[in-house]
Amino acid sequence: MSARMVLDVSEYPSLVQGPRGGLWWGMAGLVLVEVVLFTTLIATYYYLKFLNPHWPPAGEPLPKLLLPTVNTAILVGSSFAIYYADTSISERGDKRGMTVGLVLSLLLGLTFLVLKGVEYAQVEYFWDSHAYGSIVWTMIVFHSSHVLSVVLKTVVVLALAAKGHWTRERCQGIKVNGLYWHFVVVIWIPLYLTIYWTPRIHG
Amino acid sequence: MPRAPATAAPLRRRAAACALLPALLGGCVGTGVQDVLAPTGPQAARIADWFWISYALAVAVFVAFAAILAYGLLRARRRERRGEPAELPPSHGRGLVIWGGIVVPTAILLTLLVLSAYTDRRISRLGRGPGEHPVTIQVVGHQFWWEVRYRDPANPHREFTTANELRVPVGRPVRLVLSARDVIHSFWVPNLHGKMDLIPGRTNDLVLQVDEPGVYRGQCAEFCGTQHAKMAMLVEALPPAEFAAWWERQLRPHPTPVDSALARGHDVFMQNGCGLCHSIRGTEAHGSVAPDLSYFGERRTIAAGTLPNTRGHLGGWISDPQAIKPGNRMPAVPLEGDDLRALLSYLHSLR
Amino acid sequence: MATLDPALAPDTPAGDLHLLERTWSAPRGLGGWFMHVNHRRIGRRYIATGLALFLLAGLEALAIRTQLAVPENDFLGPEAYRQVFTMHGATMMFLFAVPIMEGIGIYLVPLMIGARDMALPRLNAFGYWMYLIGAVTLYAAFFLGVAPNSGWFNYPPLSRREHELTIGIDVWWVVVSMLEVAALVGAVGLIVTIFKMRAPGMSLNRMPIFVWSILVMAFMIVFAMPTLMTTSIFLGLDRMVGAHYFDPAGMGDPLLWQHIFWYFGHPEVYIMFVPGLGMVSMVVATMSRRPVYGYTAVVLSLIATGILSFGLWVHHMYATGLPRLGTSLFTAASMLVTLPTSVQFFCWTATFWGGRPRFTTALHFVLGFLVIFLIGGITGVQLGSVPFDLQVHDTFFVVAHFHYVLLGGVVFPLFAGIYYWWPKVTGRLLSERLGKLNFWLMFLGVHLAFWPQHHLGFMGMPRRVYTYLAEMGWGTLNLLSTVGAFTVAAGVGVFLVNAAVSLRRGAPAGDDPWAAESLEWSTSSPPPPYNFRLVPTVRSRTPLWDPDRAEQPVVVGLRDDQREALSTTLLDARPDHRVVLPGPTIIPFVAALAAATPFVGVLFGLHWVPIGAALTFLAFTAWNWPHHLGTRLEPEGGPEHRLAAAERAREEAEKARGEEVRR
Repeated sequence: MSARMVLDVSEYPSLVQGPRGGLWWGMAGLVLVEVVLFTTLIATYYYLKFLNPHWPPAGEPLPKLLLPTVNTAILVGSSFAIYYADTSISERGDKRGMTVGLVLSLLLGLTFLVLKGVEYAQVEYFWDSHAYGSIVWTMIVFHSSHVLSVVLKTVVVLALAAKGHWTRERCQGIKVNGLYWHFVVVIWIPLYLTIYWTPRIHG
Repeated sequence: MPRAPATAAPLRRRAAACALLPALLGGCVGTGVQDVLAPTGPQAARIADWFWISYALAVAVFVAFAAILAYGLLRARRRERRGEPAELPPSHGRGLVIWGGIVVPTAILLTLLVLSAYTDRRISRLGRGPGEHPVTIQVVGHQFWWEVRYRDPANPHREFTTANELRVPVGRPVRLVLSARDVIHSFWVPNLHGKMDLIPGRTNDLVLQVDEPGVYRGQCAEFCGTQHAKMAMLVEALPPAEFAAWWERQLRPHPTPVDSALARGHDVFMQNGCGLCHSIRGTEAHGSVAPDLSYFGERRTIAAGTLPNTRGHLGGWISDPQAIKPGNRMPAVPLEGDDLRALLSYLHSLR
Repeated sequence: MATLDPALAPDTPAGDLHLLERTWSAPRGLGGWFMHVNHRRIGRRYIATGLALFLLAGLEALAIRTQLAVPENDFLGPEAYRQVFTMHGATMMFLFAVPIMEGIGIYLVPLMIGARDMALPRLNAFGYWMYLIGAVTLYAAFFLGVAPNSGWFNYPPLSRREHELTIGIDVWWVVVSMLEVAALVGAVGLIVTIFKMRAPGMSLNRMPIFVWSILVMAFMIVFAMPTLMTTSIFLGLDRMVGAHYFDPAGMGDPLLWQHIFWYFGHPEVYIMFVPGLGMVSMVVATMSRRPVYGYTAVVLSLIATGILSFGLWVHHMYATGLPRLGTSLFTAASMLVTLPTSVQFFCWTATFWGGRPRFTTALHFVLGFLVIFLIGGITGVQLGSVPFDLQVHDTFFVVAHFHYVLLGGVVFPLFAGIYYWWPKVTGRLLSERLGKLNFWLMFLGVHLAFWPQHHLGFMGMPRRVYTYLAEMGWGTLNLLSTVGAFTVAAGVGVFLVNAAVSLRRGAPAGDDPWAAESLEWSTSSPPPPYNFRLVPTVRSRTPLWDPDRAEQPVVVGLRDDQREALSTTLLDARPDHRVVLPGPTIIPFVAALAAATPFVGVLFGLHWVPIGAALTFLAFTAWNWPHHLGTRLEPEGGPEHRLAAAERAREEAEKARGEEVRR
């Protein structure tokens, strides 16, 4: 037999969504790296907590609960907004729904940042006060900078939306941005429980 | 340099080492002043025993694997020369991997693990039983010297401080309470016991016991800065009665000397600010950031085991410590010849 | 869902070779040099940079050994010695071993899995530039006389500002953080490539063992390196804004550093070692002319090694006074981790046993690895014991142990790999005679350099001392050790000569000089810019040894006028979609400059952090702006191109069949 079998792939698609595409996996890899980073922060928090008899240190009040809890709800809400934007375009091709979702998530994300700023403008310790201050401030600044970066990324996504870039077929960018957004929201939950609840439950 | 007295048991062990270790080193060279395999304390001895067992197993493992590998290679080559097919019966391969790769190593590792845990238990129990009151010595690490405080919980007036040289009673457990003033150091006297770190903000303890009188050298084992290499200490083991007498002697303060040469040395010491860092019991020198110099004349070495404590070396050290141990914390003290000589006499009179 | 479409070759559109060549070829000129994204270019750069840094670190080793050759030597002063031993360790660990293993993976993995490039080529280029900027920063500090000076482990409180004011410590944490970024993006790129770009039919259980080892390494990097980055930044915060992480007076703890550092640091050793195991498996199979015995056992061992290596970090901390019960558990774990390696040792032995070994230089290095690493592994088991470790921890016994492990487990497999794959990368053979001289010098040199150090450890010589007194009796063994170090250096020198001669007038290698089994040997040497004229399909673990190789299907239908590659499913490697990969672009270089700005800038002032972050954001926005992807949705290319290419496809098939017959 002088001929050989071939596998003709010319009809295969070149635009795919979600985990079929390499870009999604690239972002998943970044998320995994970030999970390890945040886990190290949380582990450090507990290491220092169990090392020290007074946590927070004597003289520092327990962290207040109301504002950060409301703020957490706002951040979780932003995740739903981004999910709505994603499904609007990828399942229904609804560009208006996508824009609404993106704008809403942007507003919620910004609100979270502003409220975080208000909250930490009031605390009386800083990163150079003691190790408690060091780890709490590091966690807050590190996570807030993630929120800021995903908000800025979403501005770029929105700019592309304004140019009509996204379609039902070509929406991997929306999905990948959404993946990162969900991560930034989800990783906040253990941070929130650690910073605000741990000192209350186990003083 | 002081040497550990070579007793019969370590010599035998060392002879065994020479017989076992490969001859390529051209005979036995392991006769330094610090020696893990020439133990003079119960812990170092037990650790050395564990090592010899693990060493015998290691030699067996190495020889066995090398033989199997060589046999496999030679067999394959022979078969190829003879033109025989090069197949391996599946049962042979599986046997090699399961027995060689899993079962035998697991058995050896379990043996070592159990023996290691047993050794660990025994060495960590010394001096910790109920009713045992080991001699307690607090050791504080500094860049680059050792502060040594003798403790008496019953009577604080019987406590005193010295530096870089410990004296301990023979045959009695000694508890070292270890902490550090600046960075991490590690206390290690190889002939007696393994090492333990001195960590700022933490307190560790290490119990050891010396079975034979003699002087044992150790040195800092955790990198602690520029002069980590020159941070040694000596442990001298004395018969208990001698140790008790030495302790009594250490409690005596030094009166201001009456001899005119020594008095001048004393004045030189005080007038040049030495007392801001060093202290000498009975005088107004109360510094605490440098080695205590009460009974300095008894010391065998200066600058934490760097030089023998002779007049010449001490003079050189005081004049230019940075030339001898660059990066250490002692400033040069420029003195006229007569002042320096008087100071040397005074320091060596502190005994 | 995807089935093979049978068709006869003459009717098959297979593409235009010239167009394909033009599409994939690298840009020319100096500007072009900054624009490469092709995996083989990037991989070669990683390897060349890694080898250059290996030589620098080797020179530092010689300086250390010269200083210690005789008692009370003054070749290096105490401060110079601090910097040199720190640079030696940091270079070998961070700048040589991990990047070069990633580089070899980046070069070989796409070839081995039958892909035309990595899945994320720009990210790959970005990683290299970050690595290079980090390396240049560190060595700039060294040549300015302000290298880091507190060891590659950099323990606080010594590394805190009140004890070391030198900017060298800041250089350490900044460079380490940049290198972590580089290693992490490299690892993510490798993972995605291995997951998504394998040739049709190369299911996970048919991947070459080297690809498995790279996959395990990449996951280990992802789980280990971010922790070091975090703790480095803690140290930076302590030094620069007065945080108290490692300050016992401010509720912090120096041991926090050691826990996090060794949680990273122990897997780090295996990150360097696991790809070496993978290379050894490839060389053993090819040189024994049979598949590695126990593929499944070897792969599971690699994975087990990767997982277990995360449970050992406390065995670096036995002397810190941690609770006894905990440390005993780590003894058990330290012993357990040897089992996967012993399984592999016997799998290779069984392979030799049932094979027809060829004693090439590559196999010499493999056998050298087995001997040296076995000794290092045995001393490793001994060090796992708490009591014994208390004696020899931080002595030259440990120095001897880990040089046996790292030279045996990283450098020897690396040299085996270099001798094995050199013909593929350069198209020319290395001299076997010089190769064996190279091997024997290095093999004997390693024992001469490091065997005496075991004894020095027993004789009480601590690590990291710049000098010692003559009375200690350490002189003779140290001198022997120094002679050994220079012998190793002579072996490396022979390699450099061998490499230079081969590049100038080495014998042409041909596609497959070793009659090997994996896909990289099915393309020309060096491979064309597009790697494979026709993307292959795979039916077995040793595709080139399949008797019906020439009849196996090839992939057609990928476009020649843009960088198109085939993406397959994760587990079974069924064809899934075509990906359009980006071509040459300056963006990764610019992005690396931007991303390095906050790191390097912080050495000069904190205000550089927000500036650098803003620049980074701008660079990555440009990166992601769709304009740069060059994606075109409409198919192009006329039928005449396809016919011409189909002719060549048939010729190719016949040629491949002819070779099969000759074999």
